[in-house]
Amino acid sequence: MIGGLFIYNHKGEVLISRVYRDDIGRNAVDAFRVNVIHARQQVRSPVTNIARTSFFHVKRSNIWLAAVTKQNVNAAMVFEFLYKMCDVMTAYFGKISEENIKNNFVLIYELLDEILDFGYPQNSETGALKTFITQQGIKGQTKEEQSQITSQVTGQIGWRREGIKYRRNELFLDVLESVNLLMSPQGQVLSAHVSGRVVMKSYLSGMPECKFGMNDKIVIDKQGKGGASDDAGKSDLGGGSGKQSIAIDDCTFHQCVRLSKFDSERSISFIPPDGEYELMRYRTTKDIILPFRVIPLVREVGRTKLEVKVVIKSNFKPSLLAQKIEVRIPTPLNTSGVQVICMKGKAKYKASENAIVWKIKRMAGMKESQISAEIELLPTNDKKKWARPPISMNFEVPFAPSGLKVRYLKVFESKLNYSDHDVIKWVRYIGRSGIYETRC
Amino acid sequence: MPYLGGEETVRELRRALSNPNVQSDPLRYRNTILKVIRTMSQGVDVSGLFSEMVKACATVDVVQKKLVYVFLCSYATLNPELSLLVINTLRKDCQDPNPMVRSLALRNMTNLRLPSLVEYVEQPLTAGLRDRAACVRRVAVLGWAKLHNLHPSSEIDAAVVNELYSLLRDPDPVVMVNCLRALEEILKEEGGIAINKPITHHLLNRLKECDIWGQSEVLRVLQRYRPQSEDELFDILSLLDSFLVSPHPPVMAATLSLFLSISSNLPVISLAALERVSGPLLAACGSGSREMRFAAVCHIQLLLRSVPGLLGPHYKRFFCGYAEPAYIKERKMQVLVELVNDENVAMILDELKGYCTDVNTDTAQAAISAIGRIGRSYSDRCLQILTGLLGLKQDHITSAVVQTMRDLVWVCPQCSDTVCLALDGCEETLQDIQGRQALLWLLGVYGERISTAPYTLEVLIDRVRSEASLGIKMELLTATMRLFLCRPAETQDMLGRLLHYCIEEETDMCVRDQALLYYRLLHCGIEKTREVLQGRRSDPSLGVLIGRPAKPVSQWARCFNTLEPLSQGAVEAESDRSDSAMRCSDSSTNVLASSIAVDCAWIEECVRCPAVLHCSPQSLQAAMQLVNIQTLAFTPQQMLPWRVYLYTHTQLRVSEDGQEEEEGIKVILNQQPKDDDALRQFLTILITVLNTLGDTGQAQVY
Repeated sequence: MIGGLFIYNHKGEVLISRVYRDDIGRNAVDAFRVNVIHARQQVRSPVTNIARTSFFHVKRSNIWLAAVTKQNVNAAMVFEFLYKMCDVMTAYFGKISEENIKNNFVLIYELLDEILDFGYPQNSETGALKTFITQQGIKGQTKEEQSQITSQVTGQIGWRREGIKYRRNELFLDVLESVNLLMSPQGQVLSAHVSGRVVMKSYLSGMPECKFGMNDKIVIDKQGKGGASDDAGKSDLGGGSGKQSIAIDDCTFHQCVRLSKFDSERSISFIPPDGEYELMRYRTTKDIILPFRVIPLVREVGRTKLEVKVVIKSNFKPSLLAQKIEVRIPTPLNTSGVQVICMKGKAKYKASENAIVWKIKRMAGMKESQISAEIELLPTNDKKKWARPPISMNFEVPFAPSGLKVRYLKVFESKLNYSDHDVIKWVRYIGRSGIYETRC
Repeated sequence: MPYLGGEETVRELRRALSNPNVQSDPLRYRNTILKVIRTMSQGVDVSGLFSEMVKACATVDVVQKKLVYVFLCSYATLNPELSLLVINTLRKDCQDPNPMVRSLALRNMTNLRLPSLVEYVEQPLTAGLRDRAACVRRVAVLGWAKLHNLHPSSEIDAAVVNELYSLLRDPDPVVMVNCLRALEEILKEEGGIAINKPITHHLLNRLKECDIWGQSEVLRVLQRYRPQSEDELFDILSLLDSFLVSPHPPVMAATLSLFLSISSNLPVISLAALERVSGPLLAACGSGSREMRFAAVCHIQLLLRSVPGLLGPHYKRFFCGYAEPAYIKERKMQVLVELVNDENVAMILDELKGYCTDVNTDTAQAAISAIGRIGRSYSDRCLQILTGLLGLKQDHITSAVVQTMRDLVWVCPQCSDTVCLALDGCEETLQDIQGRQALLWLLGVYGERISTAPYTLEVLIDRVRSEASLGIKMELLTATMRLFLCRPAETQDMLGRLLHYCIEEETDMCVRDQALLYYRLLHCGIEKTREVLQGRRSDPSLGVLIGRPAKPVSQWARCFNTLEPLSQGAVEAESDRSDSAMRCSDSSTNVLASSIAVDCAWIEECVRCPAVLHCSPQSLQAAMQLVNIQTLAFTPQQMLPWRVYLYTHTQLRVSEDGQEEEEGIKVILNQQPKDDDALRQFLTILITVLNTLGDTGQAQVY
């Protein structure tokens, strides 16, 4: 029989703990974490004995499932049970991942209650369990298409329940992008791409039908230039270039988006889930607005001295402000001392990281700033030359570097008496640096 | 372990729970409760919310009920008084027309684990046993087991026990199995549920209806049953035959376990069952999930103890996959070592050779020692592989190889020539303590055959000041002494330096004493020293220690299909330990022992007892154990002279060295400290034992 069941994430944090028998103390949860998950050496055996308690564990991706017992039980049966448990959970909510477990923990508690009683397996067939379980599994995105098919066949919408009501209908749209760049010392772009997400928070009553429009090149070309008569007009917050449309390389959607409509008409229409969720993910590689240019100048003065000058130029509308700018200039391993002069912000040499870290709180568009540093080196007889790692940069800008703009987001709700105009909509663009590096 | 910020969250949750607006909106109320459970499962102590949660319990919403019960069951023991408030709601729910609500209430009532509530729970539980719905009966039956667990000392009403016995005939198989489980727990003091013929037959007939958990439970309980006639036994066996090849490993293993226990008097049947089960076991070894594979391999190791040849042709099933975890690889290698025979030895060695360069150092070292163990029977091929591995100059591999070689020459002295040649130059790659110790031992023992031995030792002696390990210093002392005996000219100077350092400067008492002992020994003259240090090191004919005899099935049948085979250290490791214990006594203790041997008694006796030759070593060992005499080792039966090493430690230490001659047994006794009376006593006991064994012929003491 099983005394308790614990589920941990890869860090050893307890996601689920259920104790069935009194002989399993509360410290058992920690004992397994300390002795197995946090152990330095590799896992020695799937069965661990700690203080007369046996822990059986299986791992699914980075989730640990552990069954605990004090009796000399049938080992094969416990493992078989853990597999069965995994099967049941997969049947309910898809892949066993930390996110899915956190989303479904009430369901898991319910399942654990039904499957085991006093540590004895009772009922482990998914079909039979259905009658006892009140919760619905919240499936992860891997099962997206499958659940979509079922919902299309049955006409049922799994991600939204009926009868939601809000006094104020509001929705928030965040375009979050991270821009990745690798640039040569001469200023040539070696590789650049933007990976972005559209995150939506909706507080809408009833079963609203939404339609989302952006400046996707294919759509704009289809409609003819300047055919954006139905532009919501809220999106004119964008970056420097005045280009009209962008080419999206690939994108994926939340399960609520009707993919068939996107494929045929390239329109994104959906019934949104309630609360916060990720509407789409996309990636672009063409015509990226690079918010900053980094111009490095490295001069070796003799064998024990190095002069570094780095200029950064902001390349967006002067009215916008970039934030949290951080430039990391690597220094050789044999650096003995560094003198830094910078026009703006603060710069510090961090010996432990072998880098000069230059931080600027805020910087407007179309400005430039520079830092110069003298690096003193210890003479070494190491024949290997310093490999010169690239200068990396972090920042946050209030526009989408891919050039994506939200053209409209229309809400239709036929049954309740509110129209598109009554919904308060908020749009925000945030561009962050991903891996943004310039070789020097 | 409460996380930071716990108090803040609890306060916020309490505010939300007691907010009337939240309470009036069922959805928001449910969501707030959800949040409480979430913080609870994150490890925050939310026991302070108990009274608020008790209020939330009174609802018609099943989902909310379930949530609250999860909370209550976790914290009820901390708040026994407040829990009393819940009991009314629960009892009301037990009358609910919906069977799901009834079973839920009943289960949680028993899950509260409060001794004070027992009186309120008993009545609904009794009613639950007679409920129409099976799911309520399931819960009620186990509920009695939970009650008993709360008060293990108190008697459960006999009427209830009777009712549980009658529920074994319940149409629902889960209720039946739960009854078994509950009765096993309640009647633990009396040795569990009474298994008689009607119950057994009933259970066996319904076995097919149960799910796999139920089947393994029933099969486990039935192990206690003893069939009354042989016909009945065979009926049971043929009924269970289909379960023996079940695709579910737990059921298969439980069936085999049952087979072995009820046919323990019929070895033929046990063997047939083992053969039949080998197919499904091998299938389990190849199952997709690694834990099941591990469990299966561990159980196969048990089987091989009795039937070593069982899986010989299937040895390829135990070749390791690249991505398998180290623990499975290690076990599989141990199985491979068992399965070696003349036909497959080349293949197996080839495979093991591949594992020696595994990324995981543990696996690599396990592979090397596996090769070493095969080397006891196929020494040439294995030594070739081991010598080849030395060429890789990897420190962990070299270390493992040197240790393996040391173990190998201990049992197979004929390998020593090859080993001596191979050792050249590996001192540079050796890093760890065990490896260097092994090398030192080899240098000491085979010093005269390794030309560079003095130079290797000299380097170590020069560095002895910076040496941290005690073991290395001790080993270095002994090795230098031994080398001095065979190559005095080259070693004298460095031995002097080493002894000087160890006696004058060394702070560790152990090393210092050892050095002093050697120093005084040298004063006694070179012959005496030689006698002490070069005593018999290993006996080439100690066969029984290496090849273990097949053990009877009954020895392990009891622990089959439990945790034991998985946690048990490898069988091989045990015998290795005894080997190294012997060797350890060789390198240091025997010096002490033999140095004291001067003032201990030696008695040589001749016992006339020819029958001993014809009795098996096992029975001899068993007989000796009856009178507290430990058998250390004995030579295979055909060997002449046939020797047994015995040891006892009743009041004194007596070691005995029996040598079989043509007609009688020569017993050499070695005792310390001297006590003639005890010695005589021991001898008489020994003779009695030998006589009983021989049971014919008179033993005569000359």
